[in-house]
Amino acid sequence: MSIVTLSADQTDALQEIVNIAMGQAGDSLARVLDTFVVLSVPRIRLIEAEQVSQSVAALMDDATTEVTAVRQSFSSHLRGEAIVIFTSGSVSALSDLMGYEHSVDAQTEKEVLFDVSNILVGACLNGVAEQLDADLTFSAPSIISENVTPDRVLTGNNLPWNYCLKVEVNFTLEEKNFKSHLLIMMAEDAIATLGESLNEFIAAI
Amino acid sequence: MATPILVVDDSAMSRKLLIKALPADWNVEVTQASNGQEALEAYRGGNAHVIFLDLTMPVMDGYEVLENLKKEGLNAFVIVISADVQPKAQERVKALGAIAFLRKPVKTKEISAVLEEFGIL
Repeated sequence: MSIVTLSADQTDALQEIVNIAMGQAGDSLARVLDTFVVLSVPRIRLIEAEQVSQSVAALMDDATTEVTAVRQSFSSHLRGEAIVIFTSGSVSALSDLMGYEHSVDAQTEKEVLFDVSNILVGACLNGVAEQLDADLTFSAPSIISENVTPDRVLTGNNLPWNYCLKVEVNFTLEEKNFKSHLLIMMAEDAIATLGESLNEFIAAI
Repeated sequence: MATPILVVDDSAMSRKLLIKALPADWNVEVTQASNGQEALEAYRGGNAHVIFLDLTMPVMDGYEVLENLKKEGLNAFVIVISADVQPKAQERVKALGAIAFLRKPVKTKEISAVLEEFGIL
């Protein structure tokens, strides 16, 4: 098994690229919801697959908070999975902001989550791809886990990789009970491809 | 005489990109800061006639820097350079005294336009 790494320069470049892309994602979300979106500094870490669940659990302030996760895979020049994790309270906050009244049925809730996932994943990953001169195609979003504790988000989904590049971006809305995390998971060979693209990006500065 | 400017961003890559995008004919002396706290110290040390300020940073973010500068009687031109391009973010920084809001990745001609508009260049 080869050891996969990104250098400090590559990580710094990727962090800045994600930061720019995330700004576009936040802007898209803010326009749709007509509210201000608070963005975190993106965190990038290469982790071993067996630590993924633990690392997802660590995203939450409270390990008992229930979350729902939506996954979209991307392919073409770069391949991987984007996973958006919503705290359960976020769904009603989103339905409110998107103009649905009172209680929404399960189908509508799903649509709201898919719409928001599409916005975040599309804007963020297209932003990254654009800066690296890459093209991406996306699968339709699907729910991978619903109302589970954070440590259970990715269990039962066998991750076919030894390493994952975890790109963590947090979106919160002011005055609303909404919190979501975007994770980008990539396999070793895709991380190597990304590393090459980052080298070209750095060389061009 | 070289104009003292301050480049504030937590990403070294981003500071490098910005410094590279500065107009070639602008004679400047660059000080760099990687968070708001460092930026304020550099400003108080007189190293900032123009400040290029990122918004999303650890320790102290760009909004807090602007608030502090405002309290201290802002005596510098602040140009916010941000990936966060929400209209409300732009309104907020302008209300806090920034002269311009430029989107990352920033282009030389956009910087030149702002500098000329405010008679800095």
